[in-house]
Amino acid sequence: MAENLRSGDAQGTSTETTGSIHDERQTSEQSADLPGSTDDSLNSYQKRHRSTPPWVWIVAVIAAVAIAAGGVFAYRHANSSSSVAETSQSISIGLKLAPTNLDIRNEAGAALDQVLIGNVYEGLVARNSENAVVPALAKSWTISKDAKTYTFTLHAGERFSNGDALDSKDVVWSLNSLIDNDYVNAQALANVESVSADGTTTVVLKLKAPDAALLWNLTGRAGLVLDEEAHYDAKTQAIGSGPYLVDSFKQNESLTLKANPRYWGSHQAKTHTVVLRYITDDNAAINALKSNNVQVLAPITANLSSSVSNDGDVVVKAGNDTDKFVLAFNSTGPKTADKRVRQAIRYAIDNKALISSRGGADELLGGPIPSLDPGYEDLTKLYPFNQNKAKELLSEAGYSTSKPLKLDFEYANIYGTEIGDQLRSQLKAVGIDLNVKVVEFSAWLNDVYTNKNYDLSLVDHNESHDFNAWANPEYYFNYDNKQVQELYAKAVSSTSDAAYESYLKQAARLVSEDAPADWLFNYRVTTAYRKSVTGFPLNLNQSLLPLWNVQNKA
Amino acid sequence: MRFLLRRSALLLAALFGMSVLIFIALRVLPGDVASVMAGLNATPARVAALRQELGLNRSYLQQYVDWSGNVIHGNLGVSVLTGRDVGAQILSRVQITFPLILLGLFLACLFGIPLGCASILAPHAGVRQGLHMLALVGGALPALWGAMLFIMLFAKGSGLIKIFPSQGFPDEGWKQPVSACASLVLPALTVGIIVGASIMRYTRSALQEMLASEFVDMGMACGMTRVQAVLRIGLRIVSPQLVSVIGMTFAEMITGVMVIENLFALPGIGSMLVTDVGNRDLLTVQSELFVLAAFFLCIGFAVDVVHRILDPRLKGAALLASAEGMQ
Repeated sequence: MAENLRSGDAQGTSTETTGSIHDERQTSEQSADLPGSTDDSLNSYQKRHRSTPPWVWIVAVIAAVAIAAGGVFAYRHANSSSSVAETSQSISIGLKLAPTNLDIRNEAGAALDQVLIGNVYEGLVARNSENAVVPALAKSWTISKDAKTYTFTLHAGERFSNGDALDSKDVVWSLNSLIDNDYVNAQALANVESVSADGTTTVVLKLKAPDAALLWNLTGRAGLVLDEEAHYDAKTQAIGSGPYLVDSFKQNESLTLKANPRYWGSHQAKTHTVVLRYITDDNAAINALKSNNVQVLAPITANLSSSVSNDGDVVVKAGNDTDKFVLAFNSTGPKTADKRVRQAIRYAIDNKALISSRGGADELLGGPIPSLDPGYEDLTKLYPFNQNKAKELLSEAGYSTSKPLKLDFEYANIYGTEIGDQLRSQLKAVGIDLNVKVVEFSAWLNDVYTNKNYDLSLVDHNESHDFNAWANPEYYFNYDNKQVQELYAKAVSSTSDAAYESYLKQAARLVSEDAPADWLFNYRVTTAYRKSVTGFPLNLNQSLLPLWNVQNKA
Repeated sequence: MRFLLRRSALLLAALFGMSVLIFIALRVLPGDVASVMAGLNATPARVAALRQELGLNRSYLQQYVDWSGNVIHGNLGVSVLTGRDVGAQILSRVQITFPLILLGLFLACLFGIPLGCASILAPHAGVRQGLHMLALVGGALPALWGAMLFIMLFAKGSGLIKIFPSQGFPDEGWKQPVSACASLVLPALTVGIIVGASIMRYTRSALQEMLASEFVDMGMACGMTRVQAVLRIGLRIVSPQLVSVIGMTFAEMITGVMVIENLFALPGIGSMLVTDVGNRDLLTVQSELFVLAAFFLCIGFAVDVVHRILDPRLKGAALLASAEGMQ
């Protein structure tokens, strides 16, 4: 038995970390004596003195596994995780991008607008699911003939969740402090000359010049009304006048909202507790939905949605949104300053293929304005997928197979690696070498946004009404077109909606023709929810997520 | 006593070196927290104002002195992004990562050591080979794969046998011990399999050498069977090495469980670090990394001390050699 115990394999199996310890321990053992303590045990051994039968080993192995397995099954009757919502009194919703903190004044990012605006903080006006302006704290408003004076009338008896009354003084203070302190989104009120109160329920905004976008801007952070008297840590708490209040916020984990017992308005919360869970990993999110840890998942990756849509209890639906996946070409870049190069890239991109590889929910978008925004028109015919045209333009610009065009493409890792791989292979087909760099968002901010040091870059610009980026030569696009800037200025200062839209339309067409970017697609958010859930908004739910109407009737 | 003094001095020097290294390494990263906070529509003026406000314009030396001074006083600082105390943040995360590692390591030893012994001593070549293959496969298993496998088998909702939650941690944390434990089972199993395989391989190779050593011959001369001798004498002789390996594995796992925490949506140390580095919340990351590094070094320190207790033959020279070997 002794001889055949040695199985003949090499001894290089110990892990890297152990190598050094292992070697030097060997040397000290060579010269060592037997530990004295074995003597006792040797004596006892001599009494027994028999060899172990083979079955003992098999039993030992099985026992080891069985103990482990036993440990596993011991939990079999353990209670389910507490996070499962059983009653209609609570609901859990899985989201993807988490806000870093709750400071709506200083912390940028759509993740914060999404959960706080309309739920915890309210604005003078709000947006509905069709992206149109509707009353909120202001029940009505009038606009003067010259479009320079806006008069808002508040509901009587409005109050904050801490019991403080909300009247015109709070509105004036909120808007003025936003402008004075240059808080996030202050530029939306750049045209405002003064904000004043007239009695307790009337607020008057006077403008330096007409601003057709003002009303819509007030639906976002610019129009929020905060309580001047309330003192709280804005990073971890939020005190507003909405149907919900913040119960607890765990960074990157969850935000728990509870119905506001002092809510003043008509959007009374239908569910007492709403837990918003932030799950970054797509597979983890699907598992959370399947195991009922969340009853809603927004967004769900369209590609993965098939794994839950077979489940009779789950509904999967896509909604419209204003997200534009903008593949920007640096308009002053060494190679991309050449319009022919930019046009060639637009012809070379097969947007339909990109969309179908993502699950097919997204829509084609040919220009800077998405279908939910004023000034939209279908511009997808301007640069259809045409590889021959792309090659022609590239050879005009002086590139060939012997002298290929090499471009750097840098974007943030939140958008995944697939999109970079696809664009690389699509552009390779027309002779463009794309060097793809997927970096952290903070690195992207540094290289592209701040230093404008890039050839190609990709960002999901999710804001609505954000055409101004193309009229701002300082923005990271480096796009400077006087005609577009004039048209945009005319649009903003127009006093009728029709004029506003027609100027925007003209400007958007010009921008698209210039090819400072390719709008890869208009992202449509796919939401999955259990059949027992009602009232969950499907449209625009990544920018604004009104929760007052959501219920889980399980 | 002299040993302890020496070893402590070494520890302190290493901690200082670590703090400098961490500080410098983080300053190499592009981007800063001010631009992250200001977002995509910020004017350069606003970013500059934020920078001033957050003290990012001070010299690096000044920043280092301020930070390290605070750490020496036990104050890890407050995150400029979240407004939370970094120490408290680490504590709340450790409550998840630590039990996960301990449970995983316990399972790993439970699998690894007996199976490692069996893969040497089992009387049938087939069993030995099979176990050896098992160790190799377990060691080569990507964490992601293992985790998915366990989720498919045992997860509530999507598994074949719906037993354990596979997502997240109960809201009340350890106030609900049963569900807290339950939510750690699958991740710990994943950790246990992967780490267990390496412990198994290590046990195996250590015992293999024992097989041929004179200690075992001596034991057999005293009337033991080979198996008894290896288990009784051999295992005892290699136990200090095993302790070192398990100790170092433990320290490694702190960062090693990141992927697993992410998959099971557990709010542990791993996900915290990834987020804070991404946000360039450097002051916070500095403190977090320093705490982890300190922990790592202390484990090394503890392993050396335990080593000495287990193996009284170690004396000055050998000890120093081993201490350097550990670093």
